[in-house]
Amino acid sequence: MIWVTWRQFRAQALAGLALLAAAAIGFLVTGLGMHHSYAADLAACAPLHACDGATPAARALGAQFSQLQRSYEPMFELLQLLVIAVPAMIGIFWGAPLIGRELETGTHELAWNQTVTRTRWLAVKLTVVGIAAIAAAAMLSWLLTWWAGPLDQLNGNRWAAMTFASRDIVPLGYAAFAFALGTTLGLLLRRTLPAMALTLAVFVAVQILVPTLVRPHLLPSTTTTFAINEATTSQFHDFRGTQTDFHFDLPTPRGAWLTSQPPVLNSSGQVVRIDDYPDCFPDVPGDVPDVGRIGACLAKDNLHETVTYQPASHYWPLQWMETGIFLLLAGALAGTCFWWIRRRQN
Amino acid sequence: MIDFHIDARSGIAPYLQIVGQVRQALLLGLLTEGDKLPTVKEVVAKVAINPNTVSKAYRELEHQGLAAGKPGVGTFITRSLGQASLAEHGPLQQELRAWMDKARAAGLTEPGIEAMCQKTLRESAEEER
Amino acid sequence: MSAILQAHELGKRYRQRQALTDCTLEIPPGHVVGLVGPNGAGKTTLLKIACGMLAPTTGRIEVLGGQPNGGTAQLARVGYVAQDTPTYASLSVADHLKLGAKMNPAWDAKLAQDRIEQLDLNPRQKAGKLSGGQRAQLALTVAVAKRPELLILDEPVASLDPLARRGFLRHLMESVAEHDTSVILSSHLISDLERVCDYLVVLVSSRVRLAGETDDLLARHHRIVCSRRQGSDLPAGLEVISAEHTERQSRFVVRSEGELPAGDWSAEHLELEDLVLTYMEPPVDRGGDTAMQPTGEAR
Repeated sequence: MIWVTWRQFRAQALAGLALLAAAAIGFLVTGLGMHHSYAADLAACAPLHACDGATPAARALGAQFSQLQRSYEPMFELLQLLVIAVPAMIGIFWGAPLIGRELETGTHELAWNQTVTRTRWLAVKLTVVGIAAIAAAAMLSWLLTWWAGPLDQLNGNRWAAMTFASRDIVPLGYAAFAFALGTTLGLLLRRTLPAMALTLAVFVAVQILVPTLVRPHLLPSTTTTFAINEATTSQFHDFRGTQTDFHFDLPTPRGAWLTSQPPVLNSSGQVVRIDDYPDCFPDVPGDVPDVGRIGACLAKDNLHETVTYQPASHYWPLQWMETGIFLLLAGALAGTCFWWIRRRQN
Repeated sequence: MIDFHIDARSGIAPYLQIVGQVRQALLLGLLTEGDKLPTVKEVVAKVAINPNTVSKAYRELEHQGLAAGKPGVGTFITRSLGQASLAEHGPLQQELRAWMDKARAAGLTEPGIEAMCQKTLRESAEEER
Repeated sequence: MSAILQAHELGKRYRQRQALTDCTLEIPPGHVVGLVGPNGAGKTTLLKIACGMLAPTTGRIEVLGGQPNGGTAQLARVGYVAQDTPTYASLSVADHLKLGAKMNPAWDAKLAQDRIEQLDLNPRQKAGKLSGGQRAQLALTVAVAKRPELLILDEPVASLDPLARRGFLRHLMESVAEHDTSVILSSHLISDLERVCDYLVVLVSSRVRLAGETDDLLARHHRIVCSRRQGSDLPAGLEVISAEHTERQSRFVVRSEGELPAGDWSAEHLELEDLVLTYMEPPVDRGGDTAMQPTGEAR
């Protein structure tokens, strides 16, 4: 039965392998160059203790790093997208036809009348191709995590939606989920093309919803409230305002993920506007504002701002949790397939 | 080796057709005592009929004393039809030929001659019964 | 040996319609069974239930003494070739044989190989490139080489040309002769099957109309031509299957339990095709032939 699964999967496997090999070569060729540049830049600034851009000399060297970031930015975005797209591709091209094509062409009537139960037939197919799916995703994730190392270091933001979803172990969960999703839809719809389309739609929806609705709430976040006065605002970097509200960029621990930054509120909890305090905010636009002075001016108004964040230490737990959730979903979908296949309807 | 053919439209049961074809082969001298009949498998591989039909025909031949089955070896003809072969009936055939010439002269075509022969044969067979 | 197929009041209902109603059958082993009926009669449904692809809604069924969904033991004993003889278009002939070998412990590789050579099939050719007849032969080879006790074939020759049809049936009969396999094959044309079947089941509008050994059925049915009369005027013991009347004459197809009694009629046996056609028409009441209709069929 393993040979049968392999033989049916052969063309897709070889295509996948070819693409994976091409990707690996691409990663290695560009990545080695980038890592080399990064190492060289580090070597230049490290002896001067100037790597963090505090002194003018460091700022000049820091420009090198920005240069590095900027030149690799497009490729960075593209490769992240690739690693997120691959599970979708797996769901569409490996998952949807797995059972869907057999039902569509009627070959299941040949397969289910050999001396192999349907359950075993399904189990072997799911296992063989599922393992291939997870392995492919793991490979790509590992390659990207290595490749993007310097850039992630410079960006300092592991939490961006596209970044979190394309590093470390989460892509494995996505691959398992997308594969199981495609297979289940192929089984239920009995047509490959509609199953492919629906798999894509559901996967995209999930990728849009999870970072905003699910991920921030998987672990308890930390909430800090800052009173607005000179002492606090002098720690702030900047403020941002619109017609209806404004907020300060609050200091959060390094590497933390800001999950919400509501606007500045007054003591009764209402949103306040820049226009409510015309004497505290400079009229002339374009000037670099002295945030400390603004804070001193506003101190009498008893304003405050609350920020919610996930600390950096939650990165790996959240990776594990999200991966686990998607693996569980994949398992539930696979269970649905087994249940459905045992029902003998037309 | 004898080849059988089945006419599904003849109204004669297939197994009887086989029996008849064996008898005819014996009459024509195509089969003689000791000859091996094709196996059931060989027959159905050439003529798509039910194997039971062939078995039934061979059993009927055994019943008529014309053949006997040796397990594991096959079915063999056990006797000829106790009738001199047609070749020995030269004078009869000449008479028949003379009649045919007369029939053609009278205007009968081949199908007509065949039909008359069959009809007369049937009638005489019925009378004999 | 247990019956090939034993069904008791078997029924199958889909959402809107009843595919099988009240089917009771007991088919003895060692036969080639012809399942005949018009399209939509329920033949495919019955065969799919027999091989475990579908579950019945009501009633019971046993195949070779076991349940159709009884696991690998049952799967090994029953071979099935679906309508349109599905094969994997992108797999070669040799791949199909390997598939059979991998999925069936009782696979007879030599038999399969011999058959492919005999059929002159190129082992490397993809199944999608074969002709319809060749695909049917390939599907049959895969089903036969797993050495089942029972072969179920759903309209195997429907889409084949006469030459391919004859070749397929020869191949099938050869297997039956060699391995003593029982076969159930369905068709909507009796002419496809009459050469090879020795047991007949007629299925019309989801019901079994007729079932029995063909020799037996042919012996018991007679076409009677006599002077104009009602079906109920015929002697008891004769079941009227169909009736046709003209002004002065009546023609009945009757079924007798024993020998046909003597009577003022002329009687003859029917051809198998006529017999099947008679049963495919709606059933007639024993005496229910109605008003005079010239050369019409009163039902």
